Amino acid sequence: MATKGVGSFLKKAARGRVVSERNLATKETITPEEVLGLQAPTTQFLCEPSANIYGIEFVAFKLRDMESGNVLVNLGPGIPDSEAMAVVGADNSGRFVRYQFRPDFFDLKSVGASVTFCVGDKPVPNFRMIERHFFGNKLIKSFDFDFGFCIPESTNTCEHIYELPKLPKADIDAMIATPYATKSDSFYFVDGKLVMHNKAEYAYDGTF
Amino acid sequence: MGLLTIIKKLKMKEKTVRILMLGLDNAGKTTILRKFNGDDINTIMPTLGFNIKSLEHNGYTLDFWDVGGQKSLRSYWRNYFEKTDGLIWVVDSCDKRRLEDCKAELQLLLQEERLAGASLLVFANKQDLPGALSSDAIREALELDSLKGHHWRIQSCSGVTGDGLAEGIDWMVHDISCRILQVD
Repeated sequence: MATKGVGSFLKKAARGRVVSERNLATKETITPEEVLGLQAPTTQFLCEPSANIYGIEFVAFKLRDMESGNVLVNLGPGIPDSEAMAVVGADNSGRFVRYQFRPDFFDLKSVGASVTFCVGDKPVPNFRMIERHFFGNKLIKSFDFDFGFCIPESTNTCEHIYELPKLPKADIDAMIATPYATKSDSFYFVDGKLVMHNKAEYAYDGTF
Repeated sequence: MGLLTIIKKLKMKEKTVRILMLGLDNAGKTTILRKFNGDDINTIMPTLGFNIKSLEHNGYTLDFWDVGGQKSLRSYWRNYFEKTDGLIWVVDSCDKRRLEDCKAELQLLLQEERLAGASLLVFANKQDLPGALSSDAIREALELDSLKGHHWRIQSCSGVTGDGLAEGIDWMVHDISCRILQVD
């Protein structure tokens, strides 16, 4: 058993430096490498809303099933809340959202998740998004996307189209049985410095 | 055939393929991008920035970047050239008045060193509309036959009906994957 422990430690080390949230809480600036080393969802926000000096604002989010074309979530100004397959709740800060899906969410094969964001009157250099989804301390999905340059006063969209990770049945059952234990952190960097941190939690026990 | 079918054909060492879609404003870039991805095309506004579709399959990623074509945005196009494997130039085949503009902007792009290795696909779009010029007429107007150094193809299409989109993009992905394999 001891050798197995060493093996898994080495494997982790090979993937990159392991970072705990406690180490980051006191840091002035946080880098992409550091959040990639986190082994669990965060409990706090790793930057203040005031860190967003570029006026980056997320204005819409859409999630669709690529096979049926059904829209599961459609949030944004002027979008009627019809035929939604999820229930959504948010706090006042705009930094935290909760989604409730039905258990048949796990029957989906591939989805398209799209965001719309605006930027302020300054050009944004090297804009990068890292999003990490955890169930408990298990990483189930991770995105790392370089937007690069964003035009001043622009409105931009980005849709990620991907196959949902195949999870063991036991994990799916546990995710349905423990609402909001599935969590994601979205980190946004400009020139390698954290400027925004948003969170979401997911439940799969909806009966609507 | 959708993008997922095409991306399944990607068998190369390069993990991410980057395709840049440009053209004059109102050429139909966003409509083509959305139609091809099965997205709603009823409420499309002029693009004042970029639209990205990033497709992931078996560890490969196919990224499409559609950057707004208004005159005030064209000076920003250069920010999106880096690492581009394929360039899609979209033409409004009904916009005869601006064909000269269209040709001049394309010529400028093709002089760009960072796009030198990119495959070029020209979409002669809006073929569903009466009065659309044929792809042969566009090919002549843009003087594509005098192009040197780029692999290119012109494809007539309609972003609204979807005709021609899969053929064009299939060619482009195939051309890129052959080129990358040769380099290896």
